[in-house]
Amino acid sequence: MSESKQDDIVMASVHSTVFKESESLDGTCLQIKGYDFNNGVNYQQLLNSMLTTGFQASNLADAINVVNQMLDWRLVDEPVTEDCADEERDLDYRKSVKCKVFLGFTSNLISSGVRDVVRYLCQHHMVDVIVTTTGGIEEDLIKCLAPTYKGDFSLPGAHLRSKGLNRIGNLLVPNDNYCKFEDWIIPIFDQMLREQNNENVLWTPSKLIARLGKEINDESSYLYWAYKNNIPVFCPGLTDGSLGDMLYFHSFHNPGLIVDIVRDIRAVNGEAVHANPRKTGIIILGGGLPKHHICNANMMRNGADYAVFINTAQEFDGSDSGARPDEAVSWGKIRGSAKTVKVHCDATIAFPLLVAETFASKTKRHH
Amino acid sequence: MSDEEHHFESKADAGASKTYPQQAGTIRKNGHIVIKNRPCKVVEVSTSKTGKHGHAKCHFVGIDIFTGKKLEDIVPSSHNCDVPHVNRTDYQLIDISEDGFVSLLTESGGTKDDLKLPSDESLLSQIKDGFGEGKDLIVSVMSAMGEEQICGLKDIGPK
Repeated sequence: MSESKQDDIVMASVHSTVFKESESLDGTCLQIKGYDFNNGVNYQQLLNSMLTTGFQASNLADAINVVNQMLDWRLVDEPVTEDCADEERDLDYRKSVKCKVFLGFTSNLISSGVRDVVRYLCQHHMVDVIVTTTGGIEEDLIKCLAPTYKGDFSLPGAHLRSKGLNRIGNLLVPNDNYCKFEDWIIPIFDQMLREQNNENVLWTPSKLIARLGKEINDESSYLYWAYKNNIPVFCPGLTDGSLGDMLYFHSFHNPGLIVDIVRDIRAVNGEAVHANPRKTGIIILGGGLPKHHICNANMMRNGADYAVFINTAQEFDGSDSGARPDEAVSWGKIRGSAKTVKVHCDATIAFPLLVAETFASKTKRHH
Repeated sequence: MSDEEHHFESKADAGASKTYPQQAGTIRKNGHIVIKNRPCKVVEVSTSKTGKHGHAKCHFVGIDIFTGKKLEDIVPSSHNCDVPHVNRTDYQLIDISEDGFVSLLTESGGTKDDLKLPSDESLLSQIKDGFGEGKDLIVSVMSAMGEEQICGLKDIGPK
């Protein structure tokens, strides 16, 4: 064979390797296109463009889509099952049955301004069950007594300690705020103890929290609205925070207050187990206890139907905090058929944007 | 008050209060404090500064001066605690009755018969043996908050 003919064969083979014919994506995948600021600063269009921007912007847009599906679902969208109750066959009833929404978040988010977004959701009864950690309770109440301030991540710890300032990320909470909290809460615990002893009241974390929401009586508090709208707030780890410190001191000065966590596990699991015929949707900000507790409750009904996780944790260490929704599917905490998204983003950025495009937009439409 | 005032209380009480208030932050180890209405000797004090748990607090561990039981309390350091008046008085031992009461010689020359033998075994056997041997014994009686107990023994010499 001539040299040039050999070269041609080699070239053809290399060409076919490097320039492998690709499968066409047109029609199956969205094209990537970001926002064009030549159209001016249009925030609505900017948010809409996230879907086609890629990476976590696209994930956030997907999450918004899943939450909207969660909020739009009605029982009338499902075929009537053979074994359903007579009441469930009625069309108007089926149009009224909505998805049950579980909202979970970690304490730091309540120290942040996300607390006010949560308050909006509770104020308008847009969520059905809340699970959080102890700071998620006290930080909301303390903000009604004294404010939290913006600081900086780099403020030196020893210097802050000498000034009586506690740092939460780049936020600052003065010691004095916790003193005000102590002065406010101890008499309430005294009263609760009296009711326990004289009226046989059985306190659980969720009941205690509802009482605190009632006592704070402040429209800026999400717990106040949760109490008013009968949204149960679960916090099985109630002792792990300033509130726990208060319970500890109260047990010396006026002992005997009992808080029953067994009753509350019945209640939170019951919220999932007895949700039917409603579907369930879970929105979880952060990881830790709130994330697992909500997923576990939904396991009792063979899994949630919609799930949105917004957190910055990663799965490489096997932590539950970092686990993607698909890991929860393996446990039966989320259904295999469920619509799920994880947004790898700090919830202080992602959640207000998500609420803007979901919960808050729906009320706009109603007005 | 008027001259016709009747003194019903015994000389030891004379209307004086059994405790006095003292700021928690000033109470030190080896002092005394009332915990759960019991007079205690302070064996441990630790203070936690103002913080997430609220106001600065003092954590006291005390031993009940009569029963020896360990009691603890946590009090905000700015609050007042009750401190018991603790008195020790020495009396000469005159007699031990069959039902375990002692007869003591008071300063005024009368007898004090309302005290029982102490429950502490070593002190009890010291008193019984010493008395049995005919020794002159002086007992120390500790009193606080209306309660009294023999807490010590002195041998003042051979008979």
